[in-house]
Amino acid sequence: MEQFLYYLKVSWVSIKRAPLPYALTIFILSLGLGVFFANATFYYQLNSDPLPHKSAKLFFPMTLMVPNECSDCPPPRVLSYSNVQKLSQSDIPSAKAGMYSADGYLRLDTKQAPTPVSIRITQPDFFKMFEVPLLHGSIWADDKARLELILSKQTAVKMFGRSDVVGEKILLDDRFYTVIGVLDDWQMLPRLYDANNRGHLEDADQVYMPLETGYDFNYMSNRQSHTYDYTDYRQLATQGRTGALNQLQFWVQLDTDAQQQAYRQFMSNLVADEKKAGRHPSTPNNQLIPMRTIVTYFGGESADIKAFALVTLLFLGVCLFNASHLSLNRYISNQYEFSLRRALGASRGQLQQQMLADVLLMATFCCIGGLLIAWGGVTLLNFLWPANSLFGRWDLTLLLLLLAITFTMSYLVTLYPSLRASFGGLNQQLKE
Amino acid sequence: MIQLKNLSKIFRTELIETHALRSIELQVNEGEFVALTGPSGSGKSTLLNVLGTLEHFDEGDYLLDGQSVKGLTDSALSKLRNEKIGFIFQGFNLIKDYSLQDNIELPLRYRGIAASERKRRAEQALELVGLAARRDYHPSQLSGGQQQRVAIARAIAGQPRILLADEPTGNLDSLMARQVMELLEKINNDGCTILMVTHDPDQARRAGRQVQIVDGQLSDAAMYDPLAVKRA
Repeated sequence: MEQFLYYLKVSWVSIKRAPLPYALTIFILSLGLGVFFANATFYYQLNSDPLPHKSAKLFFPMTLMVPNECSDCPPPRVLSYSNVQKLSQSDIPSAKAGMYSADGYLRLDTKQAPTPVSIRITQPDFFKMFEVPLLHGSIWADDKARLELILSKQTAVKMFGRSDVVGEKILLDDRFYTVIGVLDDWQMLPRLYDANNRGHLEDADQVYMPLETGYDFNYMSNRQSHTYDYTDYRQLATQGRTGALNQLQFWVQLDTDAQQQAYRQFMSNLVADEKKAGRHPSTPNNQLIPMRTIVTYFGGESADIKAFALVTLLFLGVCLFNASHLSLNRYISNQYEFSLRRALGASRGQLQQQMLADVLLMATFCCIGGLLIAWGGVTLLNFLWPANSLFGRWDLTLLLLLLAITFTMSYLVTLYPSLRASFGGLNQQLKE
Repeated sequence: MIQLKNLSKIFRTELIETHALRSIELQVNEGEFVALTGPSGSGKSTLLNVLGTLEHFDEGDYLLDGQSVKGLTDSALSKLRNEKIGFIFQGFNLIKDYSLQDNIELPLRYRGIAASERKRRAEQALELVGLAARRDYHPSQLSGGQQQRVAIARAIAGQPRILLADEPTGNLDSLMARQVMELLEKINNDGCTILMVTHDPDQARRAGRQVQIVDGQLSDAAMYDPLAVKRA
């Protein structure tokens, strides 16, 4: 330890000997790392797994059960109410939930100005499948329609000034509902359950309503929906359940390979039965999309972020090259000291330990510089693209990853110059 | 102690080969004070560097304490330099940002000697060269002669058995040169073998034996002197 502290002291003395070239090296490397980190922050969050312990068990079933004939057609991104009911008939999944989102206006009474809110219209298993934390109250006991809402904590506090509002009445559009539950702070990042609608980069919804209630009160999806006929589906309550209006997302939890296999078989049988009954003229096309791959499946990966990642990686490469060049100059100017130390008995291994102390110091400075620049970059990107602001955050894993990258880059910047310096001709250097 | 057998050293460039040392045969016994003399470019510094393992040689063999240094790894050569050999350079080669104490402790650190022992040895070495009171000074605060004395202190702090001095008085005036020579004689009297490159015939005469090099070859009289004895 004493020797390593000495190595740190030697590094520090060497920096003080020529502070400007060193500062320039740090600045260039920090700039490259900072720009790279800023982009990596978004890239990491966008590609992170919000439920790593469970995501392998969650699936998005899709089927081409549509009334018209279509060969080589992909299954629609959303399902009709009747198809969700059919897919829900199986007891194979541990949990299953149909859902969609809609807009509404919330207020405490008719005198109050309405507050626009996003509503997730869903079934009780949604909360279980996606591990939504409940702060107060409870979830609906079953799938039946009811005038009961669950609010996000933020919405409860905004409307009532407090979070424990279970039992309170609240006006959503033109009907009073009872609040039966309040969620704890929750934001699934990315919100993969909405990836088919490209809604995975958005905030969590504010109000949660039973699926049947949503249909009873004609809440149309505010995302995508399509039909295969000319029925007026604005009367959702009367037409929506039986007609060919596709607007529902459907998720199932399949805990084991056997369950997954069985559910695939169930879907195949279902489609075959439908075909036999004449309700499904198209070539069968069933999909069971794992949650982990759903963004890729629906092409929801941001091309901008990918392109920017490539650019920042190249920029980091350029910075690394320049910083190495500066570092090489610095080491060559210190080569005399390297040679002297070797002449006096330092082995190359000991000089490499000295180099590690250099790396540690450089990594420390670059980490501070890189994170400051990255913080500035993330703030700027959040300002320019507020829609992505949920993803401009650092967690411990990301920070550790950034530290590891900084250390590696600092090592690369120092490795070649230090090797050059420690392999130089001893005699020549000592004579100069 | 030191034995060179038919040792040759060639400097090569793309265009030319220079035979810096040709078939050197030399034996130096323990406790000797040998002066290496010769005209500029004759190969005496190269010989000293080969003896200090700062340069490799191309042919022949170099035995130190009966063991060949040929084929030793870089790590083994570093250990050998650190434990057995002390260097005194014409240009002092002190690190200007370090105190005298830190400069002297440098080779001891690489030997893994504990801090208290390093301090004791450095103080002892500074005492010997008469600079104990200035241990916290930096080299730039000293005269050339004082700096060379610090370099000598650094060389002897590790208690080497061989001291290699490359024109140690080359950059000093006559008074300082005399002081340095007296110091080297004292160190030699204490049992340390010294090989010193010098241009100065007076200094060479103060050594127990003179070895002359001309065109990379030892002059006949100097080749081998088994009867050389430690200078009284």
